[in-house]
Amino acid sequence: MLEIKHTLCPSCSVGCGVNVVLHNGDVVGTYPYKRHQVNEGKNCLNGRNSIEIYKSKLETPLISNASVNFDKVIDEISGELKSCDSDKITVVCSGNNSVEEAEMIKDFAESNNYNIAFYADNFVNLNADVASYEDIENASNIIVIGDVLYDNPLIGRRIVHAKKNGANIYSCVQDKSVTANVSDEIFDSIEATLDKVDDSSVIVFNTIESGADLEKIYGADCKALPVFSKCNSKGVSSIIDPISKEDLIELLDKTDVLLIFNDDIVSEIDYDFGSISTLITLVPCLNSTSEVSKIVVPIKSWIENDGSFVNSMGETQNFKAAIESESLSEVEIIEKIQNKL
Amino acid sequence: MSEDLKIVGLLCNWCCYGGADTAGTARMQYPPNVRIIRVMCSGRINPSMIFKAFEEGADGVFVGGCHIGDCHYDAGNYKWSRRAKIVQDIIEEFGIEKERFRFEWISASEGEKFQTTMDEFYKTLSKLGPLELE
Amino acid sequence: MSYVLAKSKNSDILEAGECGGAVTSIFKYLLDEGIVDGVLTISPQDDIYDGVPTFVTDSEDLINTAGSYHCAPTMVGDLIQKYLSDKKIAVAVKPCDIRSINELIKRHKINPDNIYTVGLNCGGTVSPVTGRKMIDLFYEINPDDVVSEEIDKGQFIVELADGTEKGVKIHDLETEGFGRRLNCQRCDVKIPRKANIACGNWGASEGWTFIEINDEKGEELIEGAKKAGLIETKSPSQDAIDARSKVENIMIKLSKKTQDATYGKVNEMEEWNRCIRCYACRDVCPICWCHENCEINKSYFKDSGIPPKPIAFQGIRLSHMSFSCVDCGQCDDVCPMDIPVSLIFDKLQKKYSDRTGYIAGVSDDIKPPLYSPAKEEL
Repeated sequence: MLEIKHTLCPSCSVGCGVNVVLHNGDVVGTYPYKRHQVNEGKNCLNGRNSIEIYKSKLETPLISNASVNFDKVIDEISGELKSCDSDKITVVCSGNNSVEEAEMIKDFAESNNYNIAFYADNFVNLNADVASYEDIENASNIIVIGDVLYDNPLIGRRIVHAKKNGANIYSCVQDKSVTANVSDEIFDSIEATLDKVDDSSVIVFNTIESGADLEKIYGADCKALPVFSKCNSKGVSSIIDPISKEDLIELLDKTDVLLIFNDDIVSEIDYDFGSISTLITLVPCLNSTSEVSKIVVPIKSWIENDGSFVNSMGETQNFKAAIESESLSEVEIIEKIQNKL
Repeated sequence: MSEDLKIVGLLCNWCCYGGADTAGTARMQYPPNVRIIRVMCSGRINPSMIFKAFEEGADGVFVGGCHIGDCHYDAGNYKWSRRAKIVQDIIEEFGIEKERFRFEWISASEGEKFQTTMDEFYKTLSKLGPLELE
Repeated sequence: MSYVLAKSKNSDILEAGECGGAVTSIFKYLLDEGIVDGVLTISPQDDIYDGVPTFVTDSEDLINTAGSYHCAPTMVGDLIQKYLSDKKIAVAVKPCDIRSINELIKRHKINPDNIYTVGLNCGGTVSPVTGRKMIDLFYEINPDDVVSEEIDKGQFIVELADGTEKGVKIHDLETEGFGRRLNCQRCDVKIPRKANIACGNWGASEGWTFIEINDEKGEELIEGAKKAGLIETKSPSQDAIDARSKVENIMIKLSKKTQDATYGKVNEMEEWNRCIRCYACRDVCPICWCHENCEINKSYFKDSGIPPKPIAFQGIRLSHMSFSCVDCGQCDDVCPMDIPVSLIFDKLQKKYSDRTGYIAGVSDDIKPPLYSPAKEEL
């Protein structure tokens, strides 16, 4: 029967609400969640397409691309982990994991003395004032780095509101982009854009070239809002310190077994993953990382899970499973592996 | 400047295309700016074709069909005439003067009507100048 | 067409429902008698500002859907078309809902034999987040303390748990940019006369629902519910009928005033240069149903860049369905970039109706003239 249930959008860290339409026990579409404070029922294409994660779900575990049962895959993983020195095992946590999952992953890695890595768009934790969405709307001066209007439209919308209220928009973005279209001035470099900062400015950014850029942004004397590409990067970054691309590559260099929790690190990092002897991936549906992994374990997608995400401005939002499922959650799988170690 | 005006002409195979042919074989002079696209019936013309022509840089779009009652497919030109009004309404909203879009019923024997229509249309467009869509 | 006043005979429904609870009782009748498989209506989820379409199959659950929700700018036409077209259903409809259903019936996407429509007179809806902000600002009330809201006599009225009410003139709210959604402000169809029955409190005496019976099916509904002992009815006085049409006329006059405002042309509006081509407006449109082979997805339009040239995006959508635009405002609601999409669609439908007399979802024509095979020009 037809049912409409609330959930959160998992496609970036803005934290929009979205309703999913369930029909005869299946997720069939989305419906605007107009009561949601962040997005008022507005979702971008990625957000509305996010249910594809559920629709194209992986059904069974894979070992070297062959389907196997769960007991077998747990045995195989624990075998791999036991046969390798713990300092050569790296666990990758992702911004796709909920707060609860990230805590579990951290415990798991620490109690077994594995390395732990968390990569969040090359952003690292710096002590700085985070701007809220309201701050953007009320700012008189906004510095935008990256095509925020296109990549994160529901933050972009706040920038548009600010512009309507008379704010100046200065962007470091490509010429032909939607962000450029609403900007008063466009700059080639982050430095030049940051020159426009005054004390009532807010910086919104979703991309950086290097750690140095980040320091420059936070060095500017105003609030800033980093927008991540994953729904809970903000939440996970308060549990596990995110590392830079260089540090991650250094860690990968000394890794023999890489255990990846719900991440697509292969598509994000330019690295020869073939040099790592064993890749183990836990994902709801196949991605570039699972493609090169020896072992792939299906997990519950966020629609089937309870949990909480923290959005860009640091607000924790809970969500409930919209649909029942027989798949195992990450937490359950970690417990199973731990029992075998 | 006017030499560069681009006119896209969508002509029905059974009537207006014949009309253009008649004009041609009788060596009647008409502006060379018109690029003719033969279609099987004015009723198969989708408004999006007109929009695509304007988007791609046409300064004017002309559609020629059979006289009402003469449609080879019975009622295609009725359908087109209703659709054409909608096209007129729409293009106005996008800053395209409605004179830039013209449709006419021309039979295969009316070479002269084709010639004068093209002349008129060309003159109208010359007055309007090239279309600038933002 | 006839008028009747109705009232529930079930004390629970009477308590929970708005003005007599006739709508809920009629749904109960349809479910209990097995005439329909389910009822599609609105029930609040997070709070009273969060009306969500709910498909009820057990009449016990109907009580949760009773009451009126003005902060629920929902649309059910597309839900029925996509997911419920094979079922016998009853549905509660605002005027824009029934107009969209009517247009979908014309497109053979909804079978009129499968559907009972219970219309709700509508003075307009308020976006939930705007509604809360407005209650906080103009009423100085914590929006969470509000137990129900109501639009009456030109006021938006909120009621608190202790029974106190506070109203602010809608006009005052709207001049400040709050109040009803923009499309509701210009909507001139306040009574859903294409639904089997149209219900509301305009002209009704306290505790009764005023019902306009629009067709035979509507007659059956009232008679059936009466026979089943779920409602009692009486005839309204001429004064009541006059009072109701007076309310309707005032509302329509107000809308016409808004319509008289001149809306800019697309090429004069800078909003369009922030279109991110996310297709939200198309996907939410209850009239647009053939997404799979959509013209704007064809290769020759798809690559027209971001933002797309308006004529190569909205132009195409306009040519496909603007003459059937029911001005439900969903496209405005879902646009991440706050582009007032419906403005241009509504404008084109008004142009079309000025020329052809066809009002989308209201006119009796079997098909909009553009779709008709008839051999006539416009």
